[in-house]
Amino acid sequence: MNLSGMRVFDHADEVDVIVVGSGAGGAPLTASLASAGLRVVVLEAGPNVEPGDHTPDETEAVDIIWMDERLSGGETPTAFGPNNSGRGVGGSTLHWGAFTPRPDARDMSFRRETGQGVDWPISPSELMPYVARVEQYLGVSGPSNYPWDPDRRYALPPVARNASSEMMMRGCEALGIRATDAPAAVISQDWQQEGFGLRQACVNCGACHQGCRNGAKVSMDTSYLPVALSRGAEIRADSTVHTIETDKSGAVTAVIYRRGGVDHRQRCAMLVLSAGGIETPRLLLHNALANSTGQVGRNFMAHGGVQVWGRFDQLMRSYRGYPSSIISEDMVRPPDAAFVGGYLMQSLGAMPLTFATTLIRGSSLWGPELTEALEQYPYMAGLGINAECLPSDSNRLTLSDEVDELGVPKAHIRFTAGENEKAIEAHAVTTMTNIVSAAGGSDILVLPRSAHTLGTCRLGETADVGVVDADGRSFDIPNLWICDTSVFPSSLTANPGLTMMALSLRTADAILSTTW
Amino acid sequence: MSSKSARVSARPVAFCLHALGASSVEFAHLRDALAGEIEVVAIDLPGFGDTAWVDGASVEETVEFVIRRIRAHGAARWMLVGHSMGGKIASIIAARTLSGRAPLFGLAGVVLLAASPVTPEPMAEDRRELMIGWASESHSASDGHLSDESAREFVDANIAEPLAETDMASAVSGVRRTDPLAWRAWLERGSREDWSSEVGNLAVPALIVSGAQDGDLGDPAQRRLNGATYLAAKFVTIEHAAHLLPIERPQEVAAAILTFWRDHAGTSPGVPPSTGRVIASERTSERTRGILSRRVLADDPGYQPLVLSSQQLATLRDIAERLVPQGDDAIDLAARVDQQLGRGGGDGWRNAALPADVDAYRLGLDALVGFGVDTPERQGEMIAQLIDGSFVAEGSTLNSKQLQFWFEDARVDLARQWMAHPATFSRVKYDGFGNGGDGVRKQGFTLLEAGRREAWEPSGGGTE
Ligand SMILES: Cc1cc2nc3c(=O)[nH]c(=O)nc-3n(C[C@H](O)[C@H](O)[C@H](O)COP(=O)(O)OP(=O)(O)OC[C@H]3O[C@@H](n4cnc5c(N)ncnc54)[C@H](O)[C@@H]3O)c2cc1C
Ligand code: SF4
Repeated sequence: MNLSGMRVFDHADEVDVIVVGSGAGGAPLTASLASAGLRVVVLEAGPNVEPGDHTPDETEAVDIIWMDERLSGGETPTAFGPNNSGRGVGGSTLHWGAFTPRPDARDMSFRRETGQGVDWPISPSELMPYVARVEQYLGVSGPSNYPWDPDRRYALPPVARNASSEMMMRGCEALGIRATDAPAAVISQDWQQEGFGLRQACVNCGACHQGCRNGAKVSMDTSYLPVALSRGAEIRADSTVHTIETDKSGAVTAVIYRRGGVDHRQRCAMLVLSAGGIETPRLLLHNALANSTGQVGRNFMAHGGVQVWGRFDQLMRSYRGYPSSIISEDMVRPPDAAFVGGYLMQSLGAMPLTFATTLIRGSSLWGPELTEALEQYPYMAGLGINAECLPSDSNRLTLSDEVDELGVPKAHIRFTAGENEKAIEAHAVTTMTNIVSAAGGSDILVLPRSAHTLGTCRLGETADVGVVDADGRSFDIPNLWICDTSVFPSSLTANPGLTMMALSLRTADAILSTTW
Repeated sequence: MSSKSARVSARPVAFCLHALGASSVEFAHLRDALAGEIEVVAIDLPGFGDTAWVDGASVEETVEFVIRRIRAHGAARWMLVGHSMGGKIASIIAARTLSGRAPLFGLAGVVLLAASPVTPEPMAEDRRELMIGWASESHSASDGHLSDESAREFVDANIAEPLAETDMASAVSGVRRTDPLAWRAWLERGSREDWSSEVGNLAVPALIVSGAQDGDLGDPAQRRLNGATYLAAKFVTIEHAAHLLPIERPQEVAAAILTFWRDHAGTSPGVPPSTGRVIASERTSERTRGILSRRVLADDPGYQPLVLSSQQLATLRDIAERLVPQGDDAIDLAARVDQQLGRGGGDGWRNAALPADVDAYRLGLDALVGFGVDTPERQGEMIAQLIDGSFVAEGSTLNSKQLQFWFEDARVDLARQWMAHPATFSRVKYDGFGNGGDGVRKQGFTLLEAGRREAWEPSGGGTE
């Protein structure tokens, strides 16, 4: 994004707020705080780029991805890197899929409904106005009639359907499953973005996960961050925070970050960690902060994301068009469930290398059979899910003995899908296999995976179940707040982006209403 | 399903850029010597031969002129051959092609013949003055061109042994036909310009040829000057030759070029012209074009591994051959994975049961040493066991589970290297690299339905 004319703070200045991370958690809050007159500095580990600089080439597009190594363990290790972690001014929104279902009220009161999992310490009716504010500001495309919420309205008509969308619609219709155009934080028509300027309509280029080059897809660098900048916030790219300093009372006084090989100290009256579900707990554990009850790093969750692909006679080439343009919410609470919770289904697009990686990790193919399967790529189309993942104390992030270049221990994440997750996956595989088959697909491929980095610093009513209170404020350190997906107490079936941005606006309001 | 992917024409094109005071004619013998193997397209640069100096003959203008000519030719796979002055032009074009700035695709190699470097050419000042003087009015012939005398003196100074009469006549005529302004433009400006920061380092396969009796641009200067630009250069010195290599020793030059093409530059899988055309077009961004242009360059046959030992690399090559079989003109997937490891380019995570990526590769490959000499059946068994986690490697610190995790990473890494090559893109009918250029509005896709193709796509518009 264009950083020219940006207000610049001095290292000796004590700024009001430092925000670490500029993604879905950090950016909306920064815009709110700066608009309210606070002096805010955002420290972002990744680079600052212009939308036009992105490339659809998957090998090179990793410049917008967090590629520092993490150790993944447990029975069902989750993949990081391009699978779920962004880096750069804009965070993961640079390469997210912008599929934006709203959080489901039932999922937020999960324990009350099912006796398992946890409830959010925030009521849905309190969060929903923030969701609406985010949608209105960013421009979300969606159907005029949303089957699971008839009163819902979207600002823009749906984005175009591609071959896999038509496939999913066909299969669902044959089985009597409701499906429709997905809510997408992608503008289907030119949109004047307040604080930024023109965002051009989606041109169906298909490369959302490699970075949208015309601003059609919502990304923080073409929305909330320019607003924040115009209200006086400073955004420092290439600045990786590794140390948090506190005074005798335990309050945060400054952070130390590395930029261009040199350490700098920035003083602050308040710190907001928005470094994401892995880096935030890693920073806290490394600095031994906010962890008096040992909650930091616990209850890591990753959405179930199994995919089912089929081969079609016609060329599908699902790299064309917005990748996830169809949704079905019919399985959020499937009637025949042998589990609690449920899942969302979406149509899938896939780039060749992502397809190859998922195929290999999910199968035992090699040799001519592998290259033949890869050559089937253009004939393949598939569906995927986003499934509830119950929090579990044993799914946990800890620090390993290996350190990175800055001397910070690498994160070690143990993740084992539980019985409920397995039951959901089995159900989803059956459902999606039926859909793909009904749509005419053969040679069904089931590719297990999980996605998103949730939990580890969760919101809780009290310190023994959470790291931060319902507003996102640390129980231990009053001038430390957390605003990223690490605070999710439960996973929700909705993908996290929209909820995260709504939560970010809410946390900003909480900060502004605090006397400090 | 049809796999009528266009065959890549076997004969590459060599675009030949001549020296100062010469023209395309100087490559006539080379054309004959290479005929059948390589198509020689020699270009008269502005102010030389048949090309009038219309828009100017500065280095920049000459470069853009040649880029337009290459584009108009439409070659799918090509080399640049630059002689002396033409060498500097070739290097700049190579740089613009590999960065994606030029609307070209398919550069496979650069051949420099007694070439001028991208930095100021070493040239004694008195000699420069003398040559500039030849183009001044007092010296020049009645037609305003260099005199016959000056031309002969110039040619004589640049050859090791007397030329055949026809060659001499043709060389002299080349000088005589040079527009004096173009002559001066090179001597006064072009040869003195420093293009090294635009050109940088080039990884393109390069053959750098010098004449044993050349002066300022002989072998030591080539190694020092052009060697600094080309990271993967092979140097050849030709005996009984000075500076006018294509005229003095066309057979030897042709032989060196053929060897270079067969052993190195031409060994990568060819990209069908229809795919190359889209990459070169305004549908593909400069950045993406540059990435793909660099990726299709042939792997170095003498590749020295960055992090693996030679033995480990050999084992990985044997494994790659089984895991991701390719035809002739294979990509050296193992070398590319070694490079990826050397650059620290993991994928952002690893299985916690494994040591760091490089160590896992080293240990895993050490556990499989000798894989290449096993029977295909045994190899197949081993692979199946590595994949299902039952392979036991005696004496390895990696247990079966760890070998399984590492082998999964290796399968992914090798297959991704294969999948990322534009030749494979064409095989899997992927053309998303052409989803938008650098215009104010990106093109994207218009037809998204199954079976539909747009007219710009490599396979052409239609239904399938
Ligand atoms: C491939 C992909 C597809 C996705 N698709 C969807 C989708 O379709 N719908 C949806 O709702 N969600 C999707 N998501 C998830 C969504 O993008 C994330 O949940 C959301 O962006 C998380 O916000 P965050 O603020 O927690 O973290 P991020 O957005 O990841 O931001 C964290 C930022 O902090 C920076 N940072 C980390 N450590 C430090 C440090 N020490 N110092 C300074 N800076 C640091 C990082 O560089 C990063 O920029 C997707 C994610 C990915 C990766
Ligand atoms: S498909 Fe649309 S939203 Fe996605 S990257 Fe392309 S233009 Fe942007």
